[in-house]
Amino acid sequence: MSHAPAQESGTVAPRTGDLVLEVTALTKRFEGLVANHDINFTIPRRSIVSVIGPNGAGKTTLFNQITGFIEPTSGTIVFDGIDVSGLPPHKIVELGMARTYQNIRLFHNMTTLANVLVGHHVRMSAQWWQILFNTPSVQREEEHTDAFAYELLDLVGLSRRYADDLAKNLPYGDQRRLEIARALASRPKLLLLDEPTAGMNPAETRQMTDLIARLRRELGLTVVLIEHDMKVVMGISERITVLDYGELLAEGTPEEIRTNPSVIEAYLGKQATSA
Amino acid sequence: MDATMQSTYRRAINAGLIAGVAMIYLASVGLVGAFAERPIIASIGGEGPGLITLGRVMLATPAFLIGLIVAGRIRGTGTGTGASAAAVAALSGAVAGLLFGVFLLLIAAVDVRGVFLPLTPALVETLAFGQEPIVGAIINVLLAGAVAALAALIRLLDGRDRAAVLAAIGIVLLVAMLEPIIRPILGRVELDAVRDFMFTGGGLTLPAAALLAGLVIAYTWSTRHPSSPVRRQLDAVSDERRRQLQIGAAIIGVLIVLAVPFVATGFVSLVLFNVGLYLMLALGLNIVVGYAGLLDLGYVAFFAVGAYAMGVLTSSASSMGGPMSALFGAEWGFWLALPVVLIIAAIVGLLIGAPVLRLRGDYLAIVTLGFGEIARVLVGSEALRPALGGPNGVVGVPNLTIPGFGELTSPGEYYYPVVAFAAFAAYMAWRLSNSRTGRAWMAMREDETVAQATGVNTTNYKLLAFALGGTLGGLAGALFAVQLRTVFPGSFLLIVSITVLAIIILGGMGTIRGVIAGALILVGLPEALREFGEYRFLVYGAALVAMMVLRPEGLFPSKTRRAELHEESDEDKQLGESFQDPDRAAPTATGANA
Repeated sequence: MSHAPAQESGTVAPRTGDLVLEVTALTKRFEGLVANHDINFTIPRRSIVSVIGPNGAGKTTLFNQITGFIEPTSGTIVFDGIDVSGLPPHKIVELGMARTYQNIRLFHNMTTLANVLVGHHVRMSAQWWQILFNTPSVQREEEHTDAFAYELLDLVGLSRRYADDLAKNLPYGDQRRLEIARALASRPKLLLLDEPTAGMNPAETRQMTDLIARLRRELGLTVVLIEHDMKVVMGISERITVLDYGELLAEGTPEEIRTNPSVIEAYLGKQATSA
Repeated sequence: MDATMQSTYRRAINAGLIAGVAMIYLASVGLVGAFAERPIIASIGGEGPGLITLGRVMLATPAFLIGLIVAGRIRGTGTGTGASAAAVAALSGAVAGLLFGVFLLLIAAVDVRGVFLPLTPALVETLAFGQEPIVGAIINVLLAGAVAALAALIRLLDGRDRAAVLAAIGIVLLVAMLEPIIRPILGRVELDAVRDFMFTGGGLTLPAAALLAGLVIAYTWSTRHPSSPVRRQLDAVSDERRRQLQIGAAIIGVLIVLAVPFVATGFVSLVLFNVGLYLMLALGLNIVVGYAGLLDLGYVAFFAVGAYAMGVLTSSASSMGGPMSALFGAEWGFWLALPVVLIIAAIVGLLIGAPVLRLRGDYLAIVTLGFGEIARVLVGSEALRPALGGPNGVVGVPNLTIPGFGELTSPGEYYYPVVAFAAFAAYMAWRLSNSRTGRAWMAMREDETVAQATGVNTTNYKLLAFALGGTLGGLAGALFAVQLRTVFPGSFLLIVSITVLAIIILGGMGTIRGVIAGALILVGLPEALREFGEYRFLVYGAALVAMMVLRPEGLFPSKTRRAELHEESDEDKQLGESFQDPDRAAPTATGANA
């Protein structure tokens, strides 16, 4: 069986030299366990990059460090020309990075709309004293944010009917979509998706892949995704980064990765032999 | 007899035994005795304590509840008809009555007053309806059975009718319990005829009770039942007209609130002052706990800070004496001092908030509990005696003067400022709840880590919650100081924090309407029922446990909380679905074929 052709490569050529993310010598140790060791890679603007690797390879740890969830033990992360290593997460969001989570982490007991509105928090300016007086600027901002949130629901394909439902009552696939809408609400330049198609059926997976491609095409986003579904990975990414035992095993185009002997041995090979 | 019937009977008997134990408990702790003289329905001849006393109502409550439960269970399983449900409920009630009857015989025969003080011979006589103990026991069995059967019949009515009947019973009880408040009001507004028809001075008259129940049922039916002409009229009202009517109703509501001191006694105004004070505290704590999800058990600290700051800044130096007069004899006016007090309260909020920023959940609760106690000990301490007066507190706080109106001299007059301030607090809470700030707080409550990763500066928003919550607590304290005209350490006990938290929980976490209802019930009602006295906390505890079991989302929950607590089945279903999904297993082997 052959893989789906890379839909997007060729339509948008990443401007070389314009890097949105540069990770240098990144290392994270958890009391003896080395989760990430000396990882170096770069991500060109407006590209779609997949991070793959077996379970426990340190993919999510890598995401957590990039987004400021955890502080790197050593190494630097430069986002859009600014060294963000060690910055608190909300500062990094402000700079234009947003993420989703492997195990969906919505604000479960807030409405669908409110989840997206919280996402827009960093781009709003209303302070509590202005809110108390309900100043014209606060009213304008609320109206504008509401409209923007509805647009995002449309964009990710969530029905507006769900706007007033609690996030936790949405169907599983819609929760994934809502998480993306919430991330987009902060108007990011770089979007990190942690297993966006996990738990989805083939039709839903297709929709999600289309959505990711659209985000890059229409919003000019750079997307990094952790993904296990090889069909998705090979179909959508321009570049692939492979982690194994916390180390960078290989980096390259889907074609290069597919033919890389150490990748086949370490990751795909195990399954090829067992299959 | 088949197995289902057998298990139905067994469970009915079990329920009856539990109700019996509850009845014995109520009698043993003295609740029944304490209310034996409190009439609900006046006796027809006007003799004795009344046809139905509050004590009897209490004793009947367990049987009534199991009647409802047993009938509900039978209805739920569909194993019986209405008549058999009533019969099983009657059996259940009779078992409860039997257990209680045996208890009655025991305490009639053996004097246990050494252990159970309330079990006096007088109580035994009351419980036995003035008959021989054995006859009294039999009456109890029959009565409990009858009450349970009645409850079962009510349970078997369809939803709307059942609500109407239960509302009627509830309102008759409430009006009867509030007799000491309602009766003088009727006198003041020159409705003596109504007053004399309704109340005898020893409970509601039987015709008045029947009329009241009838009115409630008629009202509920006519406004709820789809086939009622009133309902149809209401449905036909246009949206715009409806809004006008709502505004009209709101204006009438405001007028009623403003008219209270003119028609009610000073005592009522005073009780409502307390309700308003707790309302402000609850609205403030609601920001911290309900919105931001920071469980603060030491909220009384802000109340104390507000009261002491106001007291120290306004107290007349001569009455204080000692070194304090030199230091603090500012003798400012209330309005000059108020902004300073609020700023101090906000700063204390920041000071309490800063060290606990990293704590979550239970740890935060315990540390704030400690802060509350520190505040109490500190204000009463010898070290601060020169400033705060130690155990004697701050005295000589002047009355509140309202520009253009004059000085408020009687404590009851403080009703208006408290209403105004509470309205301000409610406005503040309402504005913030659906705003950038409120949403940031709620996101933090839901998942602090993700809130931060979504761009919320959690440090700032936590501090803001503590500062704003603290300010409202300080505002309540400031008003408390001028109303009481003295500030004692004894006013700032842990129980204040607990009561305020209980108000929020009872009312429904996070809603303003719920907080108002909670304050009226937990602060207002016990004042109206002074007999509760020492049983107050027992009733608090029972009410909170009952709430947690029966209606954990509070009386007036926010949409969010209601959904959260009652849609678990949906959630489970969803979880199941996601686990069944085959694609979840990772990694997929598709790529390996390449």
